[in-house]
Order: sequence, then structure tokens, then C-alpha cells
Amino acid sequence: MKPISKSIPKRDHLTKANGSAMYVCDYPTEDVLFGKLLRSGVPKANILNVKLPGLPEGYHYIDKNDVPGTNQVAIVLKDTPVFAESTVEHIGDPIGMIVGPNEHEVNRLLNETKIEYKELEPVFDVKKSDVVFFDYNYEKGDIEKAFIEADKIFEEEFETGLQEHMYLETNGLIADYSNGKIHIHGSIQCPYFVHDAVVHAMGIKHEDVSVAQDTMGGGFGGKEDHPSVMACQAAVAAYKLKKSVRIIYDRKEDVEATSKRHPSFCHYKVAVKDNHITGMQINVLYDAGAYTTLSPVVLQRGIIGACGIYNVPNLKVHGQARKTNTVPSGAFRGFGAPQTFFAVEMMMTHIAKDLGIDPVEFKLKHVSKQGELTSTSGKFHEPVPIPSMIDRVIKASDYYKKKEKYEKSTRLKSTHTKRYRRGIGLSAVYHGGGFTGNGERDLIKAVVKLKKDPIGNVEILTAITDMGQGINTVFAKIVSQELNLPIDRIIINYPDTSKVPNSGPTVASRSVMIVGELLRKAAAKLKEDWIDGREQIIEEHYKHPEFLIPFDLSTFYGDAYPSYSWAVNAVEVEIDTYTGCIDVIGAWGSFDVGTPIDENIVIGQMEGGFLQSIGYGMMEKMTAVNGRIRNNTFSDYIIPTAVDVPNMHVMLHVEDYSHGPYGAKGAGELPHVGGAPAVIDAIQNALGVTLNKTPFLAEDVMDVLRRQKSNG
Amino acid sequence: MVNCVTAHSLEEALVLRKNHELIPYVGGTDLMIHADEKSKYLFLHKVPEMKQIVEDDDYIRFGASCTFTEIIEHSLSPKILKDACSQIGAPTIRNVGSIGGNIGNGSPKADSALICMVTDSKLRLANSAGERIIPIKDFYLGHKKLDLLPDELIVEILMPKNGLDNYYHKKVGARNALAISRVSFAGIMDIKENKVKNCATAYGAVSDVIIRVNSIDNMLIGKTIEEAKELKDAYLKAFDQAIVPIKGRVGIEYRKDVCMNLLRDFLEINGI
Repeated sequence: MKPISKSIPKRDHLTKANGSAMYVCDYPTEDVLFGKLLRSGVPKANILNVKLPGLPEGYHYIDKNDVPGTNQVAIVLKDTPVFAESTVEHIGDPIGMIVGPNEHEVNRLLNETKIEYKELEPVFDVKKSDVVFFDYNYEKGDIEKAFIEADKIFEEEFETGLQEHMYLETNGLIADYSNGKIHIHGSIQCPYFVHDAVVHAMGIKHEDVSVAQDTMGGGFGGKEDHPSVMACQAAVAAYKLKKSVRIIYDRKEDVEATSKRHPSFCHYKVAVKDNHITGMQINVLYDAGAYTTLSPVVLQRGIIGACGIYNVPNLKVHGQARKTNTVPSGAFRGFGAPQTFFAVEMMMTHIAKDLGIDPVEFKLKHVSKQGELTSTSGKFHEPVPIPSMIDRVIKASDYYKKKEKYEKSTRLKSTHTKRYRRGIGLSAVYHGGGFTGNGERDLIKAVVKLKKDPIGNVEILTAITDMGQGINTVFAKIVSQELNLPIDRIIINYPDTSKVPNSGPTVASRSVMIVGELLRKAAAKLKEDWIDGREQIIEEHYKHPEFLIPFDLSTFYGDAYPSYSWAVNAVEVEIDTYTGCIDVIGAWGSFDVGTPIDENIVIGQMEGGFLQSIGYGMMEKMTAVNGRIRNNTFSDYIIPTAVDVPNMHVMLHVEDYSHGPYGAKGAGELPHVGGAPAVIDAIQNALGVTLNKTPFLAEDVMDVLRRQKSNG
Repeated sequence: MVNCVTAHSLEEALVLRKNHELIPYVGGTDLMIHADEKSKYLFLHKVPEMKQIVEDDDYIRFGASCTFTEIIEHSLSPKILKDACSQIGAPTIRNVGSIGGNIGNGSPKADSALICMVTDSKLRLANSAGERIIPIKDFYLGHKKLDLLPDELIVEILMPKNGLDNYYHKKVGARNALAISRVSFAGIMDIKENKVKNCATAYGAVSDVIIRVNSIDNMLIGKTIEEAKELKDAYLKAFDQAIVPIKGRVGIEYRKDVCMNLLRDFLEINGI
């Protein structure tokens, strides 16, 4: 480890521990109006009439007619309305908002408001949807030839379900009005996204809007697009009433009305010749929900990762995101990758099993190497450390010994007399750091600033938000190290768009790798130009690394990502055949995020993400019945606790990225990619079957056991 | 606005309960999930008569306001009850949640109520006019329906002292902590000199109330192990018919299978 990796206390620890941190719900509510959204109770309908109760003085109803600019929330496209026009597209779709000084009264008025609908036929099954939001294709090599020449062709479909972020703090923000200007602050992952959306909806000048982040209790992608919707709604009301308006969701509203991970179906057709994969034809289908929101970019990342970490010479990938009348799917740690990586990892184990080859050996035979082509004919420019990471995880988990022992026992116990069965599984994945393709160069164009005051304190100015992941600490460490200044001389506050440049959103595992490197460069410049006693401002702009093969989004050709972070996960389970309960008895992960800028923070990220991914695999089930989400509480939507994975062993492998600060690359999302396939692999090995869906719960175990029993 | 009142003696609590519409409240771990500002609460955590754990000739008497932590840490508590209580929620919930509240909540998923059912415990109910002692089985009339008068309080739980050592307990939750039972099973088998002195089973989170069918369990009582073995099929068949899961978040077939698997295991472990 480099000296910079040595951990220091996180900047937000003290204020969060002593309670002085100001979350948006902590702001005083005198002179603030409460806004509560009137939402659709049906999945698809024309709105015929909204019948309001008598509104007492000081209470107002806000809807589409009050939007001064355009009734659109600018996300990637602009199909999400601020308030419904004439139709509603999902349960929870906002129609209007009741605003007033007393929250209970607002709730009462809302409950007494009647909406008349003409209900229309909704679509819940994404396979039956004929509204294709996005459709992408790419290929390399000659897939037809691969199938013709194949010894054997494997086909299988994989399914993944919804996943909810369950950040501790729900979505919330406040819009303040003063002299024609709007200031938004709250639980906001991407202040400039919100800024741009408010400008568009309000039709006011860029400089008349400012957006600030308050202390946040988690995001995980769930506060990437939705705050834009809420901010437009709050801004419309604040602008009209010339007052502050606050919208803060309770848990039920947050779960029912905000984005989740896209449910998916992935169909794989794989050609094998001489026990080697020669081609894959992959069809990916994501359920986008009612509006397009972030689906194009989620789908892009999903299909780029569809062949996993493997070198597949002949590849044809088709991806679609279609509309259904459910809450829009959006960003969630991993951003489209967990679905396809789950599918390809399971596919690899199933083919290996059929061929009678050990799945880990089979995977190792196919792993891409430095200099080889990526799925999109880009290049793995830097070393691929997977073989040594697999080696390390295998040793730490005693993988082969356990695998052999458990498999033997599963075979022998086919008569099912033994209560507990064990299994161990392994996955190997990557996550590409930064925006897909040329996004960083063409869309984001990140800018950072360092501001030195005459005393010699240096303030970091970026739009990156610390949601608990520790980026403020990490940025301070980078600047402190580069300037050789004590850490307490570095100032960093939560961003406000009136003060910080647009360094892009806090997404895509880009903060350290892209923005951190800009800060490092800015700090190096400042050090060179340092003049005692004078205020100095250094600005640094993003430059696309020159070694990259330009990415063409229309053909999916070129380097989709400048660098790759790698992970190998092994999970060991014990299944109680009497109850179906799956107990994780061991979890090992080797993660390569380049040089960790703070070892504790990175290990925390890896443990948390790994656990979240294990939850995605075997615990977190969310069902919508006729478009209505049922699991809207912490007791109904089951996420793992620390007690559920008592033995988690995180190891860091360091393969530096040439263009990251001190070699650092993307970290945040990586651990959420490989946990699910590892745990499902462990479960399928314990049960002696092949599995193809996530989540896989106790009930599913019992279904398998029942089938095994009836088959004798 | 005053919406709560704290009682400092049982007498005071019963008078308050009689004269006002108050919801009995100890830890609030269930009540505060759906806190209703219009409701008024009667705090019972400072009623000394309801905080004791004592024994008499036949029973261990648990004050209804005893928290799960207090029960877990008390030397008089039978192991089966400690076992179930220690799997409730998380430490924070166990530190304030009470056995009386768990029973009075009326949920068939209540983990400590399952043990009271399988042990055929009794409840001491009181109002300002007097008190009555009823078997806990009679307390549960139907889905969230209790045999409790508007002015009555659950004061004590009377758990039989003897015959609880050989027990079987399994809580099946969706995770290992902070989990609501998806199925739960408790069994007691008291075998003396190769004879079944007592056999009792209870099934939680399956039906509107915790299932306890004494008439079926009685089939094995008084029998030798060999006789019980012969009756095993009939016994299992009777429970197979008696356990009828109601629709819930967790599948009917799943909960039924788990109940029967655990019941079979319970018998097998006891040599039946």
C-alpha cells in the first residue's frame, strides 16, 4: 500500500455521530410550506377530473397549469412530466400537489381529493410490451459461423428482479424562493442534474437557480434522477407562492414512487467448440417502467458487459428497454451491469457443468487478457489481474476442497435424509469506471476548482456529493498529499451550484478516478504557482485520455471505459432443507480498485456493496401486484443485516490505473456486481441443480426440494 | 397536548384504564410503527406488579411489562422462553418490547406468545372490579380478536414450572435479525420412563391465531415410545389436516411444508 492509503477519520463522522449534521428534514419549518403529491392510484388512465375539497386559506393546489416553463423533467430525454398532463402511466405518477403550512391539514386535504379516471389497459409484463424505449445492437466476429461450426450450442434465459435502494434517509428537498430566484437544497446526488432540470421546467435563467446538497443518508443511485422530479415540483410551487416549499417522503411513498433496479430477462445462446466458447448471441430485455429516465445509459452498460470478463471472439448482442406501467426503473449501484453479469456468470457455470469441466477452470480459460479486445472491440489496455485474484480467493476460501466435499455429499444425499446441505460458489466480474464511451468528454466535461485563501487554506470546489461513501475525505487526502499540506488546511463543503463548477454527477464510479485526478492535477499546479499571502484559484478541465480507441455509440465500437475495476467473489452457504433457509457461512472478495485512497473507506465500500449484492441474490424480493408495489416497509422488504453475513473477508488487489490519482480507479459500484452470481452459484451447488434467477429465496429452495422429492 | 399517562401501580393503572380510553403501552415497539396522534396511551413500564418475575408452587409468573431482555437475563425463565425471546427483533427492541405487549398485539407471529401457547400458560387479566385467570389459548378468539374487556389489562403470564426442559423451537424468519416470523414452531416432549408424559406443539405465523391442537397432541400422551411410533402416521396425518395456512406474503405450500418438516424432526429427535 502507498502512504496515501493509510486511513484517517472520515470528515462526516463527528457531525453524524453527535447529531449536529443537518439533513434536509432538520431544517426549521417556520414559514415553510409542506408539499404533498397527489398521485395516481391506478396504473394507466386518462384523468377526467380532479375534485378538490374546499381549500382553507393558505392552502393551494399546484398542477401542470402552474409550470411556468415546460412541463417536462429533463433527465436524458424529456418524457417525464413534472405533473401529469392528461394521462397517468403508473401507480404513484404525480398529478398535482397540495401545499400548505400544516402537514396534517395537507394530508387531510389530499385524502379528501378525488380523482376521476377513465382507466386504460396497463402493461405489466415487459415481454408483452410493444413500446420499445431503446433498442441497441452490436456485434464482432461472425456469430453465424460460430454456431455452424459449434460442437454444441447452449441456450438459457435468466431473470432478475426489482431491487430497492433502501437508503436510510428518504428522498427530500426544499425549494426556497427569493426575488425571482429559486434555491433548492436537500438529499441530492447530482446537483447539476437538478439545476438543469429546474431551469428547463421553470423557463428561468441558469443563474436564477442554485442547487445545494445537504448532509445525506445514502443514495446508491436512488437519488440520481428522482430529485430532479421533486425539485421541479417544489420549484413550481415555491415560484408561484413565493414561499419555501418542502417535499419529504415517508418510507412508503419513497418505495412506491421512486426508481429501482431494472428487472431483466437475458437470453443466451452460446457456441462451444473443443470445449471452448467461440460465440455468444445475447438478447437483453430491461423493464424500464413508465418513463425513459436513465434507461438508455443503464441498458448500454448492461449490454456492454453481457459477455462478462471473457474473450468471446464472435459476439452479437441485442438490448431493449421497454415500457411497462410500473414505477420507472433507474440508477442503482452497478447501473445495468449486475443483471447481465449475473446471467453470464451463471451461463458459464452451467456450460462448464455440462462439459464436465470445473467452472473456475472453465472461466479462467476464457478470461480476457491485457491487449485483447473487449466486447465492443476496444482494448484491455492494462493488465487483467483476475487469475491471481481468483487464486487468492480460492486459497482464502478453501474453495476446491469445500467444493469437492459438498458436491460429493450432495450426490450421495440424493435421497435427502440429511437436513443441512452446503455449497460454495464463485464469480468473477469487472466494472468499467466513468461514463460509458465518450460521455466524460462529450457530455460531462468535468471542471474542478481549488481556491486558496491568503492564509493558505485550500478549498476544494467540485459538484461531487458525499452521501456517506466518503468522497469528501478522499478528495481532501488527495489535495493534501499533492500540496504537502496538513489535512486540516483543506476545506471541503457540500456542493452548491452557485459556488462550485460542474464536475459532473456523483455516479458511474467516477468520483475518485475522474474528478479526483482533476483535483490532483489542480493541486500540482497550485503547488507550482503557490504564492504566499495571496488568494489563488486554480481551475482544471477534463481531458480524454489519448490512448483510448474512440467509442461510437451507434455501433458500440471502441473503448467503452478507460479502465476496469475487477472483483472475484466466493460465497459459501448452508441450506436447511427443512425450512429452505439459506445461511451465508462465508463470503470472500478480492477487489481491485487500483490504489485505495483510504483503505478503511474502500473496505467499507466493498463490504457494503458485497452484502447488498448478496441481498440482491438471495433476500431482496419486491413484488408488484397489478402495478402496486407491496413491499414498502423495512419489515416487508428484506435487506441483509450484519448478522446475516457474519464472515466476510475483503481483500484488496492493487492494479494501478495510469490516469487515476495515485493509480486509483472506480470503486463504488464494483462490489455490487459479483455477489449475486456467487451466492446463486453456491445455492445451485448445494442443491445439485442449475439456477437462473435472482432473487432466490427459502420458498424457491423448498420448490426445488419438492420437485426433487417427487422425481424420486 | 397530553396523549399519554404513566401508571405507577396496578391499582392506578386499572382505574385509568377504566376511566379513559387508553391503549396499554410498555415499549411501543409495535405501537409506534403506526403512531396515531389521536390515540392516548397508558404507560405500564413503571407498574411494579407488572415488572416482576417470581415463582409459586406451580408457575413462573412473568409480569406483563417485563421486557424480553429482562426475561432472557432472569434465572427463573425457562430455556424455551429465553430461546424464543432472544430471537425477537434486535437488542434495541428486546430492551423495551414486553411479553405482555407481544401477547396483547394479537399477532399469530408473536414469538413469545408461541411459547406461552405450547406451554399451556395462563394469563392473569384484571380490571378495577377484580381479576380472572384464563388459559392463553382461550384468550385468542380470532384474527386480532382477544378475550380482553375494554377496561382489562394483561397483568401476568403464568407459565408452568415443570416439564419444559425437553423442547424444540425454530423460528423461520426472512433473515437472522430484525425478522418477523414467516413460520415458527415449538414443541415440548416430556418423556418419563419410556412414556410420553406430555406432548405439545404450536405453530405460529400460519393461521389467524397460533395453532395449538391439544386433542391431536393428546394422542401421544400416556403412550410408550413404541406405541407412539405406531401412532405416528395418524398423528402426522391429523396435523396435516389441522394446519391450514391462511393466505399471506409467504406461500401457503411453503409454510405447510416447513411446519410438517419441523414436526417430523421434533418426533424423530425424541425417538418417535
